Amino acid sequence: MRELRVTKWVAAVPMMAIALATIYPLIFTLNVALKTRHEYILDRFSLTESLRWDNLGAAWTSGGISRYFINSLIVVGFAVALLLLFGSMAGFALSHLRFRGSRTLFLACLAALFIPFQVIMVPLARTMADTGLMDTYPGLILAYVAQFLPFTIYLMASYYNGIPAEIVDAARIDGNGPFGVYRRIMVPLGAPALLSVGILDALFCWNDVLIALLMMPSAQHRTLMIGVTSLRGQYSSDIPTFSAGVLIAAVPVLAVYLFFQRQIAEAVTAGSMKG
Amino acid sequence: MPIGDAPPLVRPIVGRANRPAITSHRGRARWERLAPYLLIAPAVLVIVLFRLWPLLLGVNFSFTGDGDRNGTPVGLDNYTDLWNDPVFRIALRNVGLLVLLLPVAVAIPGLLATFIFLRVPGNRLYRTVYFFPAVLSPVIIGSIFNLLLAYDGPLNELLQTAGLGSVDWLGDPKVAIFTVVGVHIWATFGMALVVFLAGFATLDTTLLDAARSDGASLPQVIWHVIVPGLSRTIQFVFVTTMIGMLTSMFGLLYVMTSGGPGGSTYLPEYYIWIQQGQMNRPALASAASTVLFLVMLVVGLAQIGLLRKAGRED
Repeated sequence: MRELRVTKWVAAVPMMAIALATIYPLIFTLNVALKTRHEYILDRFSLTESLRWDNLGAAWTSGGISRYFINSLIVVGFAVALLLLFGSMAGFALSHLRFRGSRTLFLACLAALFIPFQVIMVPLARTMADTGLMDTYPGLILAYVAQFLPFTIYLMASYYNGIPAEIVDAARIDGNGPFGVYRRIMVPLGAPALLSVGILDALFCWNDVLIALLMMPSAQHRTLMIGVTSLRGQYSSDIPTFSAGVLIAAVPVLAVYLFFQRQIAEAVTAGSMKG
Repeated sequence: MPIGDAPPLVRPIVGRANRPAITSHRGRARWERLAPYLLIAPAVLVIVLFRLWPLLLGVNFSFTGDGDRNGTPVGLDNYTDLWNDPVFRIALRNVGLLVLLLPVAVAIPGLLATFIFLRVPGNRLYRTVYFFPAVLSPVIIGSIFNLLLAYDGPLNELLQTAGLGSVDWLGDPKVAIFTVVGVHIWATFGMALVVFLAGFATLDTTLLDAARSDGASLPQVIWHVIVPGLSRTIQFVFVTTMIGMLTSMFGLLYVMTSGGPGGSTYLPEYYIWIQQGQMNRPALASAASTVLFLVMLVVGLAQIGLLRKAGRED
């Protein structure tokens, strides 16, 4: 026992070091974003003296981040709303209603979970171009919904499986049809799962690079992440302003993480538990 | 769930007072039968149209030509082109490298989770901090590391002050792929860590206490109690980490190396993007997609097979 306790303290040292290595790059970026160019060239590591918030302003306006930010908000907002609506409806049907072909449909959903986007992106781009959805908001939103829906359905269905059938039966006896049960039972009782899955879906969409790059070629439609990559060329000699842009793109995600850490961990692990 | 026309879950309610009981009953029954399909229709439509159908279309597409031969069947030409393309071979070789590095990528979060589980001082803090990078986009992570790892950047400055030479982290073809994989592991080990911790929560602690009171050392406890107890979790982490390495490094490659230097950091997903987007060879890209899909299938199944076998021998 004593040996184990000593091991624990020994282990704490590298663990602290890893924790620092995990957090330091972010702190470095924050510090650089508040420096002047001159300060950065003289000494990258020293704490900023000037607290230049203007870098953030410069990235926001002349860097074009404001536009990209709004684009991302629009796309992520609609995509997550549709994902939760479609995902909870399908999850409810697959977990509590019996119908011909339900098993096949569930398996099709699972299969779709294992199709990576890289494998379908070429034909998808062609389909999107043929239907006029390329380089439009609805096109990108649809691409996101298609990408993350299998995951959303899977998690919603497994959450709804935990709601006892008696509750559904009771609601039925009270005169509710399937849609009534969905609206009055499944939506309110599923709220915790909807929150977890919704946050994770939002993170996935917000952070995506490949799908946005494929679907939104024109500059005014860029999402925030693509905007950040374009910022690099624009500010290659002005590292502080570039860092400020990176920081603006990271802050919403970090805020969401700090507030909803538990929900995110739940959603990440929910998939692993079912095996 | 049985297939077939199962009876509706509800016992049908006898008609409402103000309506003829029979028609109401019949209309209601039909509505009941239809409802599940209506509920699932949007999801099925989206998944079939934008995921399953493109998969078939893509495989089919990979047997047609590009450019002048657009749309005409060309047999296996795209696949031989792929095989003869040195860049694609590098991409495949890099996949092999990822498979070799996989145990490292699984062991790091596994060990860290073990220590957190054993309540190393400060375990709650570590839990929060380690997951931090996992929520950030590869674009943000790549951008930050571009700054840190530049040849004249802070890390090399630090190495020089310490008396060590500079390393061209992203410019040396021998080093760059390891740099990118390292950053990817840095960015994603928190995900696997959380999964491991959830697995630990289901571990039978009486076994652990027994091993400890028998005086088992930490490596013994890990090898004889924790690894067998978590075999399902470990299996899951292996497969998801592999999928992550093969399908979510695009952002880092795009931001950090653009496949360079000298094509040394190409992975199949980056190759697909370049052929589709920049070289205008979508059919060739489709062939590469099909190869990637098969590679993932083979690697995934082989892993599950190997791990099952290893589990049985214990």
